[in-house]
Amino acid sequence: MVEEKKDSKTRLQKITIKALKATIKGVIFYGIYFVLSMFLAPISEVVPGFQQTIEIFVIVYIFLMIIGELTSGTIFQHFFNTAKALFVILYLIFSLEGGIMSMTFQNVNLVVDLRLFLMIAILLSLLGVAKSVLKAVNFLNGKAEHQHF
Amino acid sequence: MKIPIRMIGIATTVLWIFLIAFFVSAVYSVKDVRFNLGEPQTDITPNNKILFSLPVTIDNKGYYNIGSFNVTTEISDEEGFTITRGSTFIPIIEKGREITTTHNMMIDVNDLLQNSQDYLFNDTELEIHETIGMKLAEVIPVQASTNLSMPWGAPLYNFTLGEIEYTTFNLTHMRATIPISFENHAFFDLTGNIQIYMYNGTNILLGEGQTIIEAPQHASYQGYVELDVSIMGISESGYFEVYFLTPFFNFGPLVISYG
Repeated sequence: MVEEKKDSKTRLQKITIKALKATIKGVIFYGIYFVLSMFLAPISEVVPGFQQTIEIFVIVYIFLMIIGELTSGTIFQHFFNTAKALFVILYLIFSLEGGIMSMTFQNVNLVVDLRLFLMIAILLSLLGVAKSVLKAVNFLNGKAEHQHF
Repeated sequence: MKIPIRMIGIATTVLWIFLIAFFVSAVYSVKDVRFNLGEPQTDITPNNKILFSLPVTIDNKGYYNIGSFNVTTEISDEEGFTITRGSTFIPIIEKGREITTTHNMMIDVNDLLQNSQDYLFNDTELEIHETIGMKLAEVIPVQASTNLSMPWGAPLYNFTLGEIEYTTFNLTHMRATIPISFENHAFFDLTGNIQIYMYNGTNILLGEGQTIIEAPQHASYQGYVELDVSIMGISESGYFEVYFLTPFFNFGPLVISYG
């Protein structure tokens, strides 16, 4: 009975730490976004929908990050981290229109070629996917070893 | 296994920070770049072409150099025929520097007339396709383009030959006076020579004459040409062949019938 109570206390402590960690990570990430958004304000004034595009990205990213943190210590954490990296790739491809962004305001047609930026971002995200896969393999390996001994 | 994974994580994070910081600062620094287009000027080149000059000033107060700055102007008519094309290229504009350059375009009116004579006699609209391109921080290509229209004023707008007045010259010839009028709607002063050949109804040349014209821009011209014509050949109807010889263009024959 005492051991069961101690176990549930430890579990609650673990969940609290995870939640706290997730909250801190989310706040830091949002803080970074908040600072960067000030620098990107000139674009938001010119490009309609830019602010919303960034906001949706930040919301989904923070959501996946919090879920990943809450599920840390399980295999699901690696699933969510992989999903997060894949989400970054797909979102960048769609939101940057394949790297060549074209917009028209008044009578001026503006074309920005972000293919180089997109390519580097995709490579970094793929590195993130690889890291998550390696982590998952490592996690399963560790678990198997733990069970074996 | 844990160390390589951690190293990948650190490397990825560092590269992401570097990429985002670079991108954001490159975009942010655009607000400190100023472009100024001066008053367009027109001039005449020694080989009698019309030269458009547009002073362009770029003040790069951003954090990075601007590479491959390029201004291209293409002037075409309403049917899409390209009249002229001008391009100005600056390989690099270093940060903190201000550069002033002149974007030049030349129009050869003779080339213009090969496409259509209407440019001489009718006002029209010319299409201008303006493109400005550059590489922000020398790596992010950006291009802005716009279409404008520019009025083209005909140098010989409403060109007409008036009623012929005959006066006796000698026993065999009469002096024909032909009034000439037109409005110079062009942005340049028109000077030159008009030659007129007068033919009767049976295509026989009766006489020829010429006059010097001087028509300032946006002014109307009224003058006349005198021709000595054979009395025997004069008929009720016929036609004139008119030739224009100016520093900007040579054109003819313009056939105008009379009678």
